[in-house]
Formats: sequence, C-alpha cells, structure tokens
Amino acid sequence: MTQSQDNYRIALLSAYALALHAFESLIPMPIPWLRVGLANIIAITTFILFGFRSAMMVTLIRVVLASLFSGSFLGPGFILSMGGGVSSILAMGLVLSLTPGLFGPVGLSLIGALSHNLSQLFLAYILFIQKVEPVLIIAPFLILIGTITGTVNGLVADLLIKNLKNSQETIQDTVR
Amino acid sequence: MASIAQRRISSCLLGILFCLMGISLLSCSPPKETIYRKSMVLMDTLVTITVVTDSAEKAEKAIERAFGEVSKLDTLLNFFSEKSELSMVNRNAGLSAVRVSPETMEVLEKAIETSEKTGGAFDVTIGPEISQWNFPLKIKPEDESIKKRLGLVNYKLIQLDKGRSTVYLKKKGMLLDLGGIAKGYAADKAVEELRKNGIRSGIAAVGGEVKTFGRKPDGTAWKVGIKNPRPTGENDEILAMVELNDAAISTSGDYERYFILQGKRFHHILDPKTGFPAQGCQSVSIIAKDGVYTDAFATGVFVLGPEKGIALLERMGFGGLIVDKNGTIHTTAGLKGKIEFTTDH
Amino acid sequence: MSLRQTISATTPGDRLLLIFLLLVSCAGIVFIKDVLPSSGGVIIEVEGKTTHRYLLEQDRTVRVESPYGHLTVEIRGKKVRVINASCQNKLCEHQGWVGHGVIICLPARISVTVGVPDKSGDKRIDAITG
Repeated sequence: MTQSQDNYRIALLSAYALALHAFESLIPMPIPWLRVGLANIIAITTFILFGFRSAMMVTLIRVVLASLFSGSFLGPGFILSMGGGVSSILAMGLVLSLTPGLFGPVGLSLIGALSHNLSQLFLAYILFIQKVEPVLIIAPFLILIGTITGTVNGLVADLLIKNLKNSQETIQDTVR
Repeated sequence: MASIAQRRISSCLLGILFCLMGISLLSCSPPKETIYRKSMVLMDTLVTITVVTDSAEKAEKAIERAFGEVSKLDTLLNFFSEKSELSMVNRNAGLSAVRVSPETMEVLEKAIETSEKTGGAFDVTIGPEISQWNFPLKIKPEDESIKKRLGLVNYKLIQLDKGRSTVYLKKKGMLLDLGGIAKGYAADKAVEELRKNGIRSGIAAVGGEVKTFGRKPDGTAWKVGIKNPRPTGENDEILAMVELNDAAISTSGDYERYFILQGKRFHHILDPKTGFPAQGCQSVSIIAKDGVYTDAFATGVFVLGPEKGIALLERMGFGGLIVDKNGTIHTTAGLKGKIEFTTDH
Repeated sequence: MSLRQTISATTPGDRLLLIFLLLVSCAGIVFIKDVLPSSGGVIIEVEGKTTHRYLLEQDRTVRVESPYGHLTVEIRGKKVRVINASCQNKLCEHQGWVGHGVIICLPARISVTVGVPDKSGDKRIDAITG
C-alpha cells in the first residue's frame, strides 16, 4: 500500500463519513442531540479493513470538517464529538488488541458506541453540566439507544465490508 | 470491465460529490427556533414573558426590555405608590390639573371609552370605594360609609386635556384606581417592546392578563387556559382552553380577592352604582385584540352580568366567556367551537 | 436480510455483548423511573435568587428570612402554604394551601413556587388567565 494510495483512501472514506453525517443531520428528530451515528459505519469499516491508524484519521478528519462547516468548530458540540469519536476508536483498538477474534463488526460497533456515549456523558458532566443527577438519569437511556443504533451500524458495516472484500478480490483478479 | 484507473476516477468523483453535498448540507442548516420564558414580580403580580427566537441573546435582551417597560408603567400607574403619577393626580383632586405622561393619558382615555361603552359599569373613579375594603383582613366598610362616597364615583368627573396633557379630577376626595385596566395595558406595551426588539412570536402575561402574538415554533397557535372559578381539586383547576391568534385575553373573577362573611362572599369587583360587589357572575373572560380593552371590559362586563354582558360583547365584536353566579357558562357566538372545555361543561 | 443472515454476521462475543448491554440499560431505565420523584418541587426564592429547593413528597416546615422580612413555609400532603409572615397585608398567607402556582410575599421579597410542570405540559397550556 503506497503512501498516496493510503492518503487517497483515507480522504475518500472521510468524505463518505462526512456526507453520511450531514445526511443524518437533515433527518428531523424529536430529540435534537440524539444521533444514529451513520458516520460510524465508515469508521468501523475503516477500522476493520485498514486498521487503527486509518480509522482514527478518518474520524478526526470527519469531526473537524463537520464542525468547521457547521460553524461549531471548537464549540461544545465539537468537543463532545471529538471526545466521543476518539474514545470509540481507542476502545475498539484496545478490545481488538486484547481479544482478537472475539468480536465482529457488530460487537466492535457496540463497543465503539458505548465508549462514545460514556465519554460524551463524562465530558458533558465535567465541562458543561456540573450536576450529576441529569447525567446519571439519561445515561441508561442513552446506552440503550446506543446499543440499538450500534447494532444496526455494525450490521451495515458488516455488509459493506463483505461487499468491499468481494470487489477487492475482483480488482485483484483483474490486475493479475 | 472498467479499468482500474477509470474506477478510481469515478469513485473519486463520487467522493467529491458526497463531500460537496456534505458541506452544503452542514453549512446550510437553519437555526432552530426555541421558546424562552422568564418571570419577574412587577405591578404586584407575576409577569411572565415568553418569546420564540433562534438566539438566546436576542431573547434575553428583548425580555429585559419588556420587563423594563412594565416596570416603567408600574411607577406611573401604581395606586399604592406615593411617587406615581396616578397618586399625584389623586392628591390634586378638586385642586388642580396634573401633567401626565402619554402612557397615563392613553390609559385614562381608554378607561373612559370603556366606561361609556359599558354605561358606567367599568369606572376607574371607584378608588374611594375600593380603598375602604381590606380583603386579607376581611374588613368590610359600613353601609353608610359606602353610600356616602358614591358621589365621588363618576367617570364623567374626570377631565382630560389632551392638548396640555393634563388630568383633572373635579371633586375633592376623588381617587382613580387603575387596577382594572393597567395590567392589560402593560401586556400590550410589553408585546410592543418585544416586537421592537425583533421578536415575531411570544406571550406577555401580566398576572392573568395575557397577550399573545405570532405562533409557536411548530406553527400552532398559543394556548391559554382559563381558570375554573370554583375548582374542587387539583384536576379541574383549568376550566377551558382557547387558542389565541394575535389576541389578548383577560379574566375578572370573584375568587381573586375576597372573603366570606356570614355565608356571603364579598369580592373586589365593585358595582360603581352601588359600591357593593357585583352579583351576577363568578368569572368573566374577554378576548379581543388589545389587552387594555380585555382587562377593562372584563371588569365592566362582570358588573353588567351575563345577559347584558354577552349582548355588549357581541356588539363590540369581542369574544367572551362568562361563568354566571350559578356556574352556568355563557359564551359569545363567535367563540362557539373555539373553546376546548377540560371538564364536562 | 433474513434473520439467519443477520445472526451469522455476528460472533458469539457480539451477541453476548448485545444482550448484556440491553439488559443493563433496561435495568438502568427501570431503576431511574422508580427513583425519580413524580411530583414537582417547591422552589423558594429570596430577592429573585433561589435559596431553597424541596420535593413535595416530604412534609416539612421551613423558616425563610430576607433583609425585608420573614415567613414560614409549610409543606404538607403535597401542598404548600405560607404562615407567620412579617408583612402587613398577609396576602401570601391568605392564599392558603396551594397545589401549584406561586405564593409571593412582596414586602419581604420572598416567593414560593410550587411546580408541577407536567400538569400544563399535558394540556400544553402556554399561559393561564383568571
């Protein structure tokens, strides 16, 4: 894998992640800060196919660009997104290195979602809402939602990975 | 089979397309409008201002300005404050004309207008009578005392000079009490101030005098609840609910300030002709464009009673809901179908 | 995607984790619902600043003081009243037992807000006249 191919790949994946994030923010939701996290599909796929570093790059690029374009760069939303995104990739990396093979895309997605939510709750508590009560009260609810969306994202990522692997093989065949 | 280079290029283009879409979608998100609400004690009551805006700063600023306006009116029109313009006018009754602000003049003009339309049922010169009563301490004046002062109650004895902006009360001992009109006026002025500060939708509630303008973020009209004059528990405190579109609503009730003596209820809405509490109704709610009129007419119609009251409101083109002394509800024709009753009425 | 295909996309580890998380979060939600107070609260403000916060559930008597006066707030049977007010007109005491709304003692600059926010939330009332 050449350096430029690598960069190209990361840029492309970041673009997809960004687009998914934007698309998702268009969907009207009764609770504004509750997101399905479609961009995570890209993050998981990247993580499994191309490794920790690529996944981290894609996530960082997506979070930064998204906040730049929506005008909330360095704002509270940005800090929470960053914290959530980084911690989810870190958690996935940690788990994969400790217990390789135990989890598939769905499990990794769940781990990523869990750590994403927990770190966002923690950051929100420390930086913005000093009271413990509201944070503790919505925690179970957030985790439940995260579990459901994490499962869905994981399944979609799994599909994506299988598809990409198929087309990769086809490309290899053609090249050969 | 497309070559690798072609595939690369097409996926690159697709990526760029997605990117552009993402950029435009993210940067063109419209700011969300939310409801801000703040309360403050002014004019001896709770004033709650609600605004719809997409900026917290704008909301803060507009609400503060609106409170400032109400506070200003309080210092002008407060009956109990010695420093108010109203008190100055009262002190000079029978002595001399007093220069007043445009706001005070406007309130008095509209008060007199309401007096004329209600045939004197609403009368701000009721001061000498109402000041003899003390509702918290259950003090009722002697019948003699009430009769004696009736001569001072007559809105026709108010002399307004618009050119010089002065007010003169012709008889010594006359007292103006704007309690039945000032809050409605304040609600109007508060809304005016909110509009001046860029707010397009909200509510100004000065005590029970409510004025709404615009619509909620979801496009529906503001909903105002009318209190039940005789609630039995916690669940029927609200009698009915009505949707307002750029309109005001005021309610006068016999349950706001009252005491019961020997089985009889004495409340604060006095009949200017007798000096005694008006007997026909438990509560009167009026809907019209301006709070100054809904407030004044609510008091006047209460004194007129259900039949005359509804007839007058129909003539004026106002909406009205009257709960008479037996608990029966009368409404103007225009309101039928527009009120949602919460209990079975 | 059929159910069989879906399940085959997951490892045993995935499934265990999923069930575990679902159980934990549901348990958490049930726990929270039990612990959360159902009624509103009582908020006491002196000169506009919140000084005391209580739940309606617990009966208690609180003496509230301000530079301008004092009064005693009594919470009993999910209702609130004001007694022993230092003001002259005693309008605040006159209100009696209040289930929700505001009791204000103007001279003492003390206000007691009894909030049951869900009530008006149910009927979605934006303001009250009367």
